[in-house]
Amino acid sequence: MNDSDTVDIVRDCLTTAKDSLAGVHVNTPLDTIVRNGRARRRRHRLTGLTGAIAVTAGIALAVSALALSGHPASQSGHSASHPLIARLAAWTVAKQANGDITITIRELSDPSRLQSTLRGDGVPATVSPSTQFDPSCQPYPMTQALFTSIYHAQKGVGSGNTVLVIHPSALPNGAGIQIGASLDGRAGDQALRQVAGNQTVHQLVHQVAALAGNSVLRVGLVYASQQCTGS
Amino acid sequence: MAKGIALVMRVRGMEQELTEFAEFYESTREDCLRIVLLNVGDRDLAQDLVAEAYTRAWVSWRKVRALEVPRAWVVRIALNTHVSSWRRRRREVALGDHDTAMHVEEATAVSGDLLAALRRLPARQREVVTLRLLLDMDTETTARVLGIAPGTVSAHLHQAVAKLRAAIPSHYGQEISK
Repeated sequence: MNDSDTVDIVRDCLTTAKDSLAGVHVNTPLDTIVRNGRARRRRHRLTGLTGAIAVTAGIALAVSALALSGHPASQSGHSASHPLIARLAAWTVAKQANGDITITIRELSDPSRLQSTLRGDGVPATVSPSTQFDPSCQPYPMTQALFTSIYHAQKGVGSGNTVLVIHPSALPNGAGIQIGASLDGRAGDQALRQVAGNQTVHQLVHQVAALAGNSVLRVGLVYASQQCTGS
Repeated sequence: MAKGIALVMRVRGMEQELTEFAEFYESTREDCLRIVLLNVGDRDLAQDLVAEAYTRAWVSWRKVRALEVPRAWVVRIALNTHVSSWRRRRREVALGDHDTAMHVEEATAVSGDLLAALRRLPARQREVVTLRLLLDMDTETTARVLGIAPGTVSAHLHQAVAKLRAAIPSHYGQEISK
């Protein structure tokens, strides 16, 4: 058997394998591709503005950091019944008096800063922008009951934004939280529907999709480590 | 007046681009999905990768449509995106959706060993196999698409095919060569 025969055999096998997938079809409509592409083009065009926005956001964070670190001018505004709040353009993190962390998400941009903010609030966390994920992180085994004891999602009152509530006290020793965005709504929608109920999920998916293309918030658990979650 | 005409022409140009892209998407998406699925083995992941690749194709449509084989570009983008993808199932949230996880070995009529061997190939060899054997491109076109010499394509193909052939049951070759 010569080389050409071998190539033909392999080609034939692979073609057979491909043909046997005739029942598998693309489930992303053209409209979704075009809409996401246009949103991405718009973002590219706005790249020049991003720097200015980042500076503004940085100033906002610095002001918040001063407040959180006990700046005399802002200390009087805090009490047990008023949450400590860090604000950025894309998201807001608030630590409630009972220890819960609420993240109001308008867009999952600047993930490293969100990650730092969560870690600053004592939550071992890793946040990734989309499909990129820290390879040092390992998934933490988790049941649905454990998942729902740690996370729930809701719609922000009046704002319509997505609010993710984390209950750090429910985190097992050695576990940290993981937040990211999937490429489209399908997988995230399915996953979140199972943990949060249809109504909440649809709101969540809708709100994130409206502001960040068709991406969907994804949450999970990982083993906490210095490299992955900061502690 | 001149501005109005320019605007009309621009809108028509955009409509034309969309029509072209829609035709391209319609005519190539299923084949691209199946090729990517063979390479990654996970249906949901393949769907995501293909959607991402076509989105990028639309973003850069003026460049992509001018390529010699635009669908090869889509497949390559999808497979490159696979690297570092956090959608690998071992990293996903365990939410009891195992029933929906469809792995390609369950759906194909060939040995899982062959597909496993395909996925174990070095990236460049897998690209060459994908373009040459699954997209049915000739050596010269594959070389141009990958930016390497035709001889290098042949060498990669030779090495890859030897590995893949070893994963195919021996009787298959005998039947073919009769």
